[in-house]
Amino acid sequence: MEAPPVTSMPVTGGAVNMMEYLLQGSVLDQALESLLHRLRGLCDNMDPETFTDHELVYLLKGQQGNPFILRARRSLSHPTSPWHLRYLGQPEVGDKSRHALVRNCVDVAASHSLPEFLNEMGFRMDHEFTANGHMFRKGVMKIVVSKLSRILVPGNTENTERLSLSYLVELSVLAPAGQDTVSEDMRSFAEQLKPLVHLEKIDPSKQRH
Amino acid sequence: MQQREEKQLEAAVESLISRVAHVKNALHSFIYKLENEYERLTWPSVLDNFALLSGQLNTINKLLKNEKTPSFRNQVIIPLLLSPDRDEDLAKLTEQRVPVFSHEIVPDYLRTKPDPEVEEQEKQLSVEAARIGPEVAQKQIQTLNKLCSNLLEKLNNPRDDRDSESAAIRQSKPSFNPADTNALVGAVAFGKGLSKCRPPGPVAPGHPGQGPMMSGGPTLQQVTIGGGSGQQAGMGGPVAPQQQGQPGKIPSSIKTNIKSASGSMHPYNR
Repeated sequence: MEAPPVTSMPVTGGAVNMMEYLLQGSVLDQALESLLHRLRGLCDNMDPETFTDHELVYLLKGQQGNPFILRARRSLSHPTSPWHLRYLGQPEVGDKSRHALVRNCVDVAASHSLPEFLNEMGFRMDHEFTANGHMFRKGVMKIVVSKLSRILVPGNTENTERLSLSYLVELSVLAPAGQDTVSEDMRSFAEQLKPLVHLEKIDPSKQRH
Repeated sequence: MQQREEKQLEAAVESLISRVAHVKNALHSFIYKLENEYERLTWPSVLDNFALLSGQLNTINKLLKNEKTPSFRNQVIIPLLLSPDRDEDLAKLTEQRVPVFSHEIVPDYLRTKPDPEVEEQEKQLSVEAARIGPEVAQKQIQTLNKLCSNLLEKLNNPRDDRDSESAAIRQSKPSFNPADTNALVGAVAFGKGLSKCRPPGPVAPGHPGQGPMMSGGPTLQQVTIGGGSGQQAGMGGPVAPQQQGQPGKIPSSIKTNIKSASGSMHPYNR
């Protein structure tokens, strides 16, 4: 008996179905300092945390439908930390009034043999990039300001080239399914960052073309 | 006449003492706050303390300038008796700060001239002031007054005026570029602009016309091996791979039997 197509099976990581609420925007290099100052003031008081990550995106092509996408991320600034594997589902097409992009999210940690394992399972790496920048927290909200770079030689993370002259700003919350107050809080926080940066719900499928 | 002056002097000294006591208390509580509660201290409350001190110093100044106050410069304080012994009354009066009225404390507490450094600075300032002449000094005073009044006006005017002109400044310097936003989001979401180093697209090279890729490679096949609770997922008999006639793909001969975990497959069966 044929297995049902992989992508139509519900993906759950354990007992609770976690959803990721996401708002994205960007800020030009010259406005980065003011944005970081503002975030330092608005967010929880902790030491500013910088990170350098290398993300690889793996695709598994099923018989039909969209390919199954898994994202593997490792820290270049902490090379011994475990890898982080993440699955992001399709954005939920809910009511238009919901202010953030909501999608199913499953996160697991993995050992350093993750790329070989995924290759053996049949996944193929589609693209990779490095991200480095700053991370802030406010309560459950996580704000990441990162600079994305293209990897010119596959596997070589030293040789990178910036994708654009802007930094990507993402405001995300991981919450169990069904909590809609989260997007209200996110929207009011996003208001406080205007007009430096406009955080909004950007549907990735609309960007494709 | 003498009596009136004496009474005025006494009254002035009394009020001066009480004002100075107020300043002392304010300073005391402020220092205590700074030393013990500095983690919880907010800038507005620090400003409040400074404002309080400044207000109190102002009242002292006003008191001294008051016409009813006799000029203290004309009074002279001469110590009549100095002794190295501890004086209990004095100690109580000064809260243990001056226990002995001796030769050491006199130059400090009964001083009327400013410190030598301060005196030097004052002399320099007066020389400077004399040098520039009265007209220049007057012009400088006028400029200072104008600047201060401009600043006060700007601060006192309603916020709308301020916001409109600062909004105009901000518009000329945008801090984000929507095109960049889209580019970055596209890159993160599905690798737009990132997959240049790899062979393009999901189609095998040389066969652009093919429909959705049917890979003959490792496909998840669920092959049920006949019943039996002892059976675990293992290598099943060779099942013919689904050849789709694609010259670019090497069909793998690894068959994986992945069965969904169900009750009958429990490894620790009773």
